[in-house]
Amino acid sequence: MSLKGKRILIAKPGLDGHDVGAKIITLALRDAGADVIYTGLRKSPDYIARVAADEDVDAVGLSILSGSHHTLLAQTLDELAKLGAANIGVFIGGTIAPQDTQALLEMGALGVFTSEMSLNDTLSALEAALS
Amino acid sequence: MTTETKPEPAPAFTPSGIEVPVLVTPEMLGNPDPGLPGQMPYTRGIFANGFRGRRWTMRQYSGFGSAEESNERYRFLLDQGQTGLSVALDLPTQCGYDPVDIVASAEVGKVGVSLSNLAEMEVLLDGIDLGAISTSFTINSTAAIIFAMYLAAADNAGVPRASLSGTIQNDILKEYVARGTWIFPVKPSMRLIADSIVYANQESPRFNPISIAGAHVRDAGCTAAEEIGYTLANGLAYVNELLARGVDIDSFARRLSFFFYVHMDLFEEVAKFRAARRIWARLLQERYDAKDPRSLLFRFGVVCGGSSLTAAQPLNNVVRVGTETMAAVLGGAQSIFTSAYDEAFQIPTEQSAELALRTQQIISHESGIADTVDPLGGSYYVEYLTDRMEDKILRVMQEIDDYGGVVKAIEEGYIQMRIVERARERKRQVDAGQRIVVGVNRYQRDEEHAGFGEVFRQDPDNRRRIIAKYEAIRDRRDNVRTEKALKALASAAIHDDVNLMPLLVECCHAYATVGEMVGELKRHWGEFQEPPLRA
Amino acid sequence: MESPPRLSNRRALSRALTRASRASVADCLAAVASSPHDPATRIGITGPPGAGKSTLIARLAATRLEARARMAVLAIDPTSPISRGSILGDRIRMDTVAEHPGLYIRSIPSRNAHDGLADNICEMLMVLDKHGFDEVILETVGVGQADYEIRNLVDTVVLVLVPESGDAVQAMKAGILETADIYVVNKCDCAGAEQMLHDIRSVVDYRHVEPGEWRPPVLSASITDDSIAELDEAINAHSLWRDDHNDADLHRRARLRYHVESLMSRRVAELFDEARSDLLQRPIREVYAELARKLGEVL
Repeated sequence: MSLKGKRILIAKPGLDGHDVGAKIITLALRDAGADVIYTGLRKSPDYIARVAADEDVDAVGLSILSGSHHTLLAQTLDELAKLGAANIGVFIGGTIAPQDTQALLEMGALGVFTSEMSLNDTLSALEAALS
Repeated sequence: MTTETKPEPAPAFTPSGIEVPVLVTPEMLGNPDPGLPGQMPYTRGIFANGFRGRRWTMRQYSGFGSAEESNERYRFLLDQGQTGLSVALDLPTQCGYDPVDIVASAEVGKVGVSLSNLAEMEVLLDGIDLGAISTSFTINSTAAIIFAMYLAAADNAGVPRASLSGTIQNDILKEYVARGTWIFPVKPSMRLIADSIVYANQESPRFNPISIAGAHVRDAGCTAAEEIGYTLANGLAYVNELLARGVDIDSFARRLSFFFYVHMDLFEEVAKFRAARRIWARLLQERYDAKDPRSLLFRFGVVCGGSSLTAAQPLNNVVRVGTETMAAVLGGAQSIFTSAYDEAFQIPTEQSAELALRTQQIISHESGIADTVDPLGGSYYVEYLTDRMEDKILRVMQEIDDYGGVVKAIEEGYIQMRIVERARERKRQVDAGQRIVVGVNRYQRDEEHAGFGEVFRQDPDNRRRIIAKYEAIRDRRDNVRTEKALKALASAAIHDDVNLMPLLVECCHAYATVGEMVGELKRHWGEFQEPPLRA
Repeated sequence: MESPPRLSNRRALSRALTRASRASVADCLAAVASSPHDPATRIGITGPPGAGKSTLIARLAATRLEARARMAVLAIDPTSPISRGSILGDRIRMDTVAEHPGLYIRSIPSRNAHDGLADNICEMLMVLDKHGFDEVILETVGVGQADYEIRNLVDTVVLVLVPESGDAVQAMKAGILETADIYVVNKCDCAGAEQMLHDIRSVVDYRHVEPGEWRPPVLSASITDDSIAELDEAINAHSLWRDDHNDADLHRRARLRYHVESLMSRRVAELFDEARSDLLQRPIREVYAELARKLGEVL
């Protein structure tokens, strides 16, 4: 599996401070060949979208464990569209109730990856979504 | 063939990496006598009569949405026999933002209750006798403010401060490492903590002004030995901060308490608590020369659940929480929070929250494991593990000392890196099936998400109502008094030798908001800069 | 002061940079055929990892944006030789200025480049020239003396060191350490800063300086003082000095030479990637001849 040459932004939107998952996925993406930017904590959807657009990433991963995933996904997609960067896909990771997954996909999420998925499955799904 | 021997079993290890012998015999123990409970080095417990004197506090963490809704939930839990309140606060309150702040917009009232000012605190505690219960707040960077607000609420309710009991978490160091609700840089944060500890000693001596927490680093991925090692190192950093102010060790050490996660390896968890009690008592006596025996007592609360719970086959979590609760009781915890089985993916429903409380009630009243002190004391295996845990914990503490101390290790992202390494290792082991998690990598079902029961949904109108109340209080309050109180806070922030607590209490009485108080302090102190990801 | 005009075509710029960064050597050559734009002023910031280059750049950019409408920062991080992936971590150090409408920041992996720069860095700089930036700050990986090459691409080289970079200084002795235009000892509130300042000054003093030649200043900086203003002025002073003393033609030729060398070295890498797997089974002269022949083909 390879994400070689893909540019990916991993972001922590909102105020949730649990960042180990975001860091693990950042390292896993790097090890799969991707060029990864990690934002650090407490970034607004507006900031995340601007960085994504300026850096021209192929995808943005939002790591959310606070239960605010619907709002934060909607805001991020909206901000990306405003910047003419609607082509940048957004995927979600973190604590996501299984019954929420479908709704997030319908809203336009590229994928929903929880911590119980194996990293290999997550990376393969991402690779497929980005190819 | 009669000479054939059975093959040696494959070696087994605890999650901290201690090799587990097939059989432990007395010759394998350094000192087979663990001493007596209530005596140095307190391996077997801090009280001579264990739980026969007093049961642990059953303290369920809850709080969500508005103060009104949380108040209703608390009254329900108190009616059900709960003996202490544990208040979960929303992220804006934890990070020092008012509910109107743009960065807070998605999180108002989400993972806990929004407490932006004294009026909200009063609604939260309405009809609850503050002198009769103990209240624990999971709050860190704004802990001094929330503590001040609690004192102000007690003042207004006519409850003497001296009768208050409870805990604020107030442990900023682990926030930088694992939980992320920091605001200020390390130095002024340590000052705020020292201010609140000193003030609590004077004003409300039954209130625990700090609960040094290993729970979050554990949940983030580190081992049981690292959980204790990092937490004791943080604890010593607070002790040093207070000593540097010339405060006597025996005037505050007895008010320090700790907070951990319990995970599934039952004997290692028990050994972890026994080793921690022993190390802490010795450190306080030998290194810090504490004279008061109460200063040596390692008191701790626990959470059963956390990242050991799975979203897959959630009812399995009931068994996990039950097992972990037994480890907590056998390890001698002073208070226990049992997670709800659905906590891995949502805010617990009333039904799952009740089952969580029932779990510890069943263990307390039906299992009999709390009826004698340290029932595992003298078990060859448990004493063996306790010794080895002690070694491992001391090595972790040494590693941090060698790096240049816990503050440097945090500012430079060293401990953060260690935790990520551990978490990756654990993830790799689970992915590879080397560490079995039932329902996740073994015995999975295709129809994986069946059987959640009731799903808790928050009132979507919450944020609007919280903001309306917030606007109303800012109109209604005596703004001259508020301004004056905030100005006094700002000018005191520049001087290290002023205790900020009385000024914060006055701000709270004047209905200043959390965001306003934090804003004044931030202007002088700046904000913590996250170290970059190291790998 | 009036607020500077917003970069209107940011999205187009960011996509153009992606294309430039991924372009093959053939595409690069096709792109430079058109007439080049006037280059923006370029400042190179180099120094060992952990010297605080990104934070310093953020503060420097904020200062220089007071007098300029549009600035760009290209920040290069190392590509992992094992996975070929990278973590681009400089950007979050620049958050304090990231909101400025006149500032554009781009994170770049080094890929095959071993000189502290990145594949197609010349092409990316040309894209910035085309978009009319007043000034570009280029942050290198900071691998040691190899970062010497940056002087071919920029007008002013700033070397950032910290008191702990003693070993790095040893490693740089032969290259960048002796040729930077401005030296900054960062984190000067840490132990050992005085020693580091002293060491650098002695290296600089040892350099033989003819009358009229640029005499590199050695500055100290920390988070708490306003030393950024000093750095800002030093860069301006160097810029003025260059206007009078720099041999523009010599500099142009050095840039061209670096550009051609990097294209050729990338082309060699491309040829290895395209080659049949048995190429490296053959004797060295044959391999060389084969590659040289292919290099000779017009792209």
